[in-house]
Amino acid sequence: MMHLVDIQHVSRSFGSVKALRDVNLSLLPGTIGLVGNNGAGKSTLLKVLLGLLTPDSGGGTILGCDIRHGSPQLRGRVGYMPEAAAIVPMLKGVEFVTFAGDLYGMPHRDARRRAHEVLNYVGLGELRYRRLEEYSTGNLQRLKLAAALVHDPQLLLLDEPTNGLDPAGRIAMLQLLEDLIAETGKSVFLCTHLLGDVEQLCQQIVVLDRGTVVRAGTMDEMRSQVSNRWELSWSGPNPPFRAALERVGVQFVDTQDDGQHRIMVVVPTGFRTTTFFELARAQGAVLTEIKADEENLERLFFRVTEQAAQAAML
Amino acid sequence: MQIDQARYHPWEGKLQSPWVACGAIVRVALMQVFRNKAYWFVLGLGALRFLAFWSIIYAVTQLTLPADVQKMFLREFGFSANGDAGGDNGFIEFILGQSVIVMILLAFSGSLLVGSDFRLKTLPFYLSRRIDKRHYIVGKLLAVSAVVSILTVVPALLLFLEYGLFTTSTDYWVDNWRIAVSVLTFGAVICVVNSILLVTISAYLQRIVPITITWASLFLLLGRLGDYLFRETQNNFWRLLDPWRDMRLVGQLCFGKFRREIDEELAWWAAGILVAICAVSLVALVHRVRAVDVVE
Repeated sequence: MMHLVDIQHVSRSFGSVKALRDVNLSLLPGTIGLVGNNGAGKSTLLKVLLGLLTPDSGGGTILGCDIRHGSPQLRGRVGYMPEAAAIVPMLKGVEFVTFAGDLYGMPHRDARRRAHEVLNYVGLGELRYRRLEEYSTGNLQRLKLAAALVHDPQLLLLDEPTNGLDPAGRIAMLQLLEDLIAETGKSVFLCTHLLGDVEQLCQQIVVLDRGTVVRAGTMDEMRSQVSNRWELSWSGPNPPFRAALERVGVQFVDTQDDGQHRIMVVVPTGFRTTTFFELARAQGAVLTEIKADEENLERLFFRVTEQAAQAAML
Repeated sequence: MQIDQARYHPWEGKLQSPWVACGAIVRVALMQVFRNKAYWFVLGLGALRFLAFWSIIYAVTQLTLPADVQKMFLREFGFSANGDAGGDNGFIEFILGQSVIVMILLAFSGSLLVGSDFRLKTLPFYLSRRIDKRHYIVGKLLAVSAVVSILTVVPALLLFLEYGLFTTSTDYWVDNWRIAVSVLTFGAVICVVNSILLVTISAYLQRIVPITITWASLFLLLGRLGDYLFRETQNNFWRLLDPWRDMRLVGQLCFGKFRREIDEELAWWAAGILVAICAVSLVALVHRVRAVDVVE
C-alpha cells in the first residue's frame, strides 16, 4: 500500500528556534493523530506537509506529491482547516465556502453548489446566509471544516478542530468527524493537544516533542507500549524486598521511600504476579495490597515526552 | 437541517488554473467594499463630482455660449484656464480631482481588504488553497485597482463617451481617440502605484488608524514638505517628493500635454521615482506575505 506520508530527515528552523529536528515519518492512509505540547512543532509539521513551508533539509512525499515542489497539485488534493479564526470580514457563510472553492480552482458554479452541499453536511444549512461575524466558535469550526471539504479532498489536515469549543460542542464536532471518516473513508491528519480526541478518532498516532518525533505508530502498537504497572504495599523488611524486585527486572516508578512500604512498579513483559508473593515470602515480607494501575494514553504521552526530555538533557 | 439528514456527496470536476482565483479575490474584495455603508458615502462623494462633470459636458455641448463665457464657466467648475470639458486637460482635471476621494476610500479600505488578512490570520486560509503568494498578491492588487478604477478610469471613460455621443459628427472620435488611450494609460499608472503602496502599507500596519495616518502622511505631509523645500531652494525637483504630484506628472506624460516646459523633464524623473517606490514596496510585500507567522 502506498504511504500517505513518507518524509525523511525533515528539519525546519525559524531563526535560532529549531521547530522540527530530523523528522522521519512513514504513515499509511487512515486517521492520524499528531499530538504534542504547545510549541512541539505540530503546526510547523502540518505546514511543511501542506507545502506552505519548505524544510531546511530533508524531504519526502505526501499523497505521492513532493513536499518541496508539488505544492499546488498537492493542495488540490488536500483540505486544510486552520486553527485560527481565519475569516473574511463581511462575507456570509455560503460565500466564504464558495470563495474557498474558487481559491482551490473549482469552477464558480460548482463551488457555489458544492458550498451549499457541504454546509448542509456539517449542519450549517440554516446558518449559511449569516455573516461570519455572527457565527459562534463552534459554528466557525464547522464552517472551516466545510471550507476544507468543498473540493472533496483525499486528505484532510485539521489543526486543532475542537479548540475553543465547550464540552457539548467538542462532542458534536468529534461526532461529525467520526461520521465523515466512516462515510467517506477520507484520510485525516488531526493535529491536537487533546489526547481524548485522538483516542476517539485515530488509528495512527505521532507524538512530537520539541520538534522531534518521539513515538509514531498505530494506536494498537501504542497501547501495547502501555506499561504494566502495579502498586504494591507490604509489611516487613523494606530494602531486601526492593532489592529482590530489582533483581527480577522490576522498575520503580516512584523511587521515593515514604516509609510506608508502598511503591509503584513497572514489571517486565511476561512477568507473573505470583512472583511478587514468592519474592515477598523469600525476604520475610508480607504483601498487604497489590493493585493494577492501567496507564491511559495521556499518561503514556507524558511518560514518552518525559523520557524524550531526559534523553535530550543527557 | 440535522447532520444525519445530510449525506456527503463526492465532487468530480476539473480544477482550473490558480490564476482564475485572482478573479475570485477581486469579486470578494468588491463585495466587502460595497457591503460597508461608510464606503457608499465616499463613493457617493465621488459620484457627485462625476455628475457635476457630466452636467458641465452636457451644458458645454448643448448650450450655445460665447467662447470666453464657456472658459469662465469651465474655470468656475474647477477646470484649468486651458481646460476644455472634452479635451485632454479636462480628463486630467477630472481624474486628479478625484484624488482626495480615492485617497479617503483607499485609506479605509486597506484595513478591510488586506489588513484583516493579517490581523485575523486569514492569510493561511488563502495560501493553503491552490494559490501561492503570487496569486494572492496579484489578486489583492487587482482588487485595489478595481476600487480605484471605479472612481477614476471608469467615470472618465464614461465622460469621454458622453462627450462623443453629444456631438453630431464622428470627428470627435477620430480626433480624440488618443484621449481614451491616455485615460486608460494614466488610469493604469494610478491603479498600479496606489494598489502596490496600499497593499504593502496595509500588510504591515493592518489596522485602520495606522494605515490612515501613514497614507495621509505619504500624500499630504510629503506634498507639503516638497512645497516648502521648493520655496526655500527654488529647485523644482523637491516637488517630486509628493507621490501624487509624481502621478500627475506621469499623467501629463501619458496625455502628452504639459503646463510648463520643465514639467516634461520632471515627468520622466517622476516616472522613475514611482517605478522605484513600486519596486521597493513589492519586495517588502513579497517578504511580508507568508503563510506562517514566526513566533520566537
